[in-house]
Amino acid sequence: MSRFLNFDTLSLHAGQVVDPEFGARAAPIYQTTSYVFPDTDTASSIFNLERGGHAYTRITNPTVGVLEQRIASLEGGSAAVCTSSGMAATFCAITAILGQGDHIVASTQMYGGNISLMKNTLPRFGITTTFFDPTDPDACRAAMQDNTKLIYGELIGNPGLDILDLEAIAGIGAEHHVPVMIDATFNTPYLCRCFDYGANMTVHSVTKWMGGHGVAIGGVVVDGGNFDWGATDKYPTITGPYAPFSGINLWEEFGPSAFATRIRAEAMRDIGPSMSPMNAFLLLQGIETLSLRMDRHMANTQELLDYLSNHEQVSWVNHPSLPSHSSHELAKKYLPKGAGSIVSFGVKGGRAAGKAFIEACELASHLANVGDAKTLIIHPATTTHSRIDAEALEAAGITEDMIRLSVGLEDVADIKADFDTGFRAAKRVAAS
Amino acid sequence: MYIEVNGKQVFATTGGKPFDCARPVVVFLHGAGGDHTVWNLQSRFFAFRGYSVLAPDLPGHTNSAGPPLASIEAMADWLNDVLEALDCRNVSFVGHSMGCLVGLELGSHDPARLRSLSLIASGLATPVNDALLGAAKNNPDAAISMMTSWGFGAAGHYSRGPVPGNAMIAAGQMVMRGNTPDALHADLSACNNYANGAEAALLVKPHVQVIVADNDRMAPKKATDKLIAQLPNPEVAVIADCGHMVPQEAPNRCRKLLRDFIFKHNPATQGS
Repeated sequence: MSRFLNFDTLSLHAGQVVDPEFGARAAPIYQTTSYVFPDTDTASSIFNLERGGHAYTRITNPTVGVLEQRIASLEGGSAAVCTSSGMAATFCAITAILGQGDHIVASTQMYGGNISLMKNTLPRFGITTTFFDPTDPDACRAAMQDNTKLIYGELIGNPGLDILDLEAIAGIGAEHHVPVMIDATFNTPYLCRCFDYGANMTVHSVTKWMGGHGVAIGGVVVDGGNFDWGATDKYPTITGPYAPFSGINLWEEFGPSAFATRIRAEAMRDIGPSMSPMNAFLLLQGIETLSLRMDRHMANTQELLDYLSNHEQVSWVNHPSLPSHSSHELAKKYLPKGAGSIVSFGVKGGRAAGKAFIEACELASHLANVGDAKTLIIHPATTTHSRIDAEALEAAGITEDMIRLSVGLEDVADIKADFDTGFRAAKRVAAS
Repeated sequence: MYIEVNGKQVFATTGGKPFDCARPVVVFLHGAGGDHTVWNLQSRFFAFRGYSVLAPDLPGHTNSAGPPLASIEAMADWLNDVLEALDCRNVSFVGHSMGCLVGLELGSHDPARLRSLSLIASGLATPVNDALLGAAKNNPDAAISMMTSWGFGAAGHYSRGPVPGNAMIAAGQMVMRGNTPDALHADLSACNNYANGAEAALLVKPHVQVIVADNDRMAPKKATDKLIAQLPNPEVAVIADCGHMVPQEAPNRCRKLLRDFIFKHNPATQGS
């Protein structure tokens, strides 16, 4: 092979060795907890990280492995570890390198679960976070402390949709020798490969666009393999001896996949948020059509942006593809194929009109998810971000009239017709 | 482990076990642009089976101080100095690609120390085309792409390695980018200029094993045949459906071949 395989081909083939026994074309579902070892030497080799192989599905599984290797290939990373959910991926990734007394610098514009993790849960483990405005890299720099060990953000902020200036943030990370971890759920590797711009690791909720069909919860951590852990003594979990494996030094042994190996060896073994083989299979079906779906998501999003921008019941529309958005230029730089299929907009008439809009829509589903093949709508202030205090809500750019729309793959004319119904209901409420 | 050789810092992984020169030693030497991590699916195995393992980074590669060495002969001298510094006896040498050329030089000059020589994916010489040499000098990223696209076979391109979750091409590229900027050009120039392979092969005394990959486009059959013809009674094994990056693309088959050969010719009971 004299050149690299392209994205669409990798989406279909990466990670899979065709079943040698029966020739199954699809990746088989290895629904098993454990694996028969051919001999004791092989068994001890697998347990001692001397060779690849499977011992127990909490740690690795052949079906999950196909998904991991496929995602690593699509993302351009050195290794990937799948988890039971996106939040599990985030927790495992953070705790692989941070512990008591360590500090994170993180964007204010993130999924509510990420904010809650850093604001409420991680402090109980001695890990604190300073949040920064993702539109201001200087704020990121100013938040760095001596004990900062991670910069964390979402490329497409949630729900304000501000684009993180990834190269600038990665530069700050490099200045301080601190890795940059990006929650890349909203962009997927199809819209942006974050490692190309200096990120060091990504996490995804593959429940969303990667899977795309709303049928399986899952997460993944991808190791960019591009952080020099050995250049500092700040990361002993990677560069120091790891007692459970005879004092192994993961950086020395595994180099570019040391971070992923730590997650595999520690988090999957000691915490155990493993992805089920069935979910891995379902998610693989989704990834096979990732580029096709993302193109349709982007096309429908563009049409709906035109529709919403010209609708009399809409007070404002927010999407980085719009020239009015403060991140428009960054979106053109980092997301030339489209800036994601999440749109937020305000319904004239405030909270009551927004409620009426949501309840009148029939085709668009009112639920707390994004990235489904189906169009989804929700009112963040009362749902996904309801546990966040007023100050943080304002920092995240959430208003009471905000509707968050996850544009689906339906015929866009039908989505518009459904929204027409919703806006008529909103207009009646606003007028009353 | 870090040691000092000729006033420079040298890094070598020992496979997770302390180095003990009293044991038989397996030395793993990487190819152009590589480092010790090429061997992580072989080195640890031997370290936990009675051998002392030494998988160094050549000067200017990953953890070893530069500058990179300019010739294969200089690399062999350097490796000899490393082995001297650690008082290594009963050595089994395992080389990949450029590392094999270093092994030929070492094997032809220092037979007393060597018990066996395993040469993976190499000919007697490694001519490098001008486009790659030029890219390595002026545009290392392009050269890294060229080398990894040509070097890896299907297992690499389709991420079909046996380690769950790992994508070996990206990892290989990261290793190459982590070297000193001039390391790849120095390595490729050293390969291109090396002309002593045929003479060195004739002088090799230890037991020799040659491992060939049938889809190797960097060391194709025509080249490996010349190496095999020149060596005294080599044990030859062909790994099917594998590209140039044998230790990563076919780690289990590679390790089994190395195990059978090294266990036979340099058993771990010796000196341990």
